[in-house]
Amino acid sequence: MKVHVNMDICLLHGQCVIAAPEIFSFDDSGDLHWVEVIDDSQVADAEAASDACPEQAIILG
Amino acid sequence: MTQDSLVADNLPYLDISDPGFSIRSSEVMNAREASWCARTNYGLAVLRYDDVQKLLRHPKLRQGSYRWPALNDVTGEFARWWESMLLSQEGDNHARLRRMANPAFSPKLITTLAPKFTELATMLIDEFAPKGECDFIAEFTEPYATGVICELLGLPFERWRELADIAAEMGLALGVTFKKDLPTIEAATKRLFDYVEELVEARRAAPKDDFIGMLIKANEDKSQLSDQELLDMIVLAIFGGIDTTRNQLGLAMATFIEHPEQWALLAERPELGRAAVEEVMRVRPTVTWVTREAVEDFTYNDTPIEKGTTLHLFSQSATSDPRVFDDASFDITAERKPHFGFGGGAHHCLGHFIARGDMTEALKLLSQRLKNPRFNGEVEWLPDSGNTGAIRMPIAFDPA
Ligand code: SF4
Repeated sequence: MKVHVNMDICLLHGQCVIAAPEIFSFDDSGDLHWVEVIDDSQVADAEAASDACPEQAIILG
Repeated sequence: MTQDSLVADNLPYLDISDPGFSIRSSEVMNAREASWCARTNYGLAVLRYDDVQKLLRHPKLRQGSYRWPALNDVTGEFARWWESMLLSQEGDNHARLRRMANPAFSPKLITTLAPKFTELATMLIDEFAPKGECDFIAEFTEPYATGVICELLGLPFERWRELADIAAEMGLALGVTFKKDLPTIEAATKRLFDYVEELVEARRAAPKDDFIGMLIKANEDKSQLSDQELLDMIVLAIFGGIDTTRNQLGLAMATFIEHPEQWALLAERPELGRAAVEEVMRVRPTVTWVTREAVEDFTYNDTPIEKGTTLHLFSQSATSDPRVFDDASFDITAERKPHFGFGGGAHHCLGHFIARGDMTEALKLLSQRLKNPRFNGEVEWLPDSGNTGAIRMPIAFDPA
């Protein structure tokens, strides 16, 4: 599965980092990073993050 | 004199504990022009959009109200709950609780509730609409906000009064007379916990896939969500969901009464319902500031901020900041930068999908049924700071 964040609407709340820390992370300067291709074992976490995102900025496909 | 105090001396000063203080005053706007922040009786007030945006999620800051009972020298069951619930936690513990709670607040679960919101709003409007007048708080926003929580918890609507009274009594804890009201607050807290325990037991006996059901599922692994944490979370949903929605819908009506053409537009174009909620929360948020506390010394915008300093992030002042909003006048069709009415960062409001959903349905219906709304007597307001809103709002309208 592919993971993408629409950075035009992402507000860096970090709810995705809380919901799925293996996929999403902040670096020291506060920028958001994510694993772009995940395997089946991580799909549930990615969906939890996408649901939890207040801006609904996470696109899974 | 040290350089630090020189910087501080040059900042504007706001007396935020003065009962007459208003976050919408020209005093605040002047301070916002003079500097990005002001000194107050309790720490700093942050006034501009970009700074509120950055500081809401600043790694050197934590949520600021966790010490509220301790500051008031209060202990007991309310204090225990307040200090251990989600909002007062940070780091790993906060992340664990939030992960456990998220499924119960997911947008998917909320979508199934939308028709219930419409049903509830219609029932309440049908009651008072023929009169052409009502107390908008007593007859609509309060039963509606509490009815939504009943719906979420799977309680019959008839229980709303009981729940509203308990929440109001517990809510005294947020006021200046916290210590004096402690016996009432403790009794209400105990009643709410008994109530919630009963609810959980009933749902354990007859499982369902709803809000409580999701939390009970999370509680199957007690190391992730203990029995106490399960109860604390449900109490938070009730405590946090009632007054906020009640106040915000009252503020929405007051704003639309001042902008009748926008109300008429919403009635014509119900698809603007969601945008109307966002725009109301930008110009008149019930949560007028969000509190943070510095966990270590740091410097921001050349201003040294000492460990333990309280920062009040003024959401309302930020979202009327002319640096970001050229024309900040109320317009539900305008494309806007996001408001801070739900806070932001790790503590972003957990219930925002529910709140957005129920307020959207309510405003759509109200604009169609209550034409030409106007004040019909004196409106009683809470202080215009902290968590604000109307306690009584007599209105008249042309029923449709
Ligand atoms: S939760 Fe959403 S808005 Fe927040 S950082 Fe993650 S993607 Fe961005």
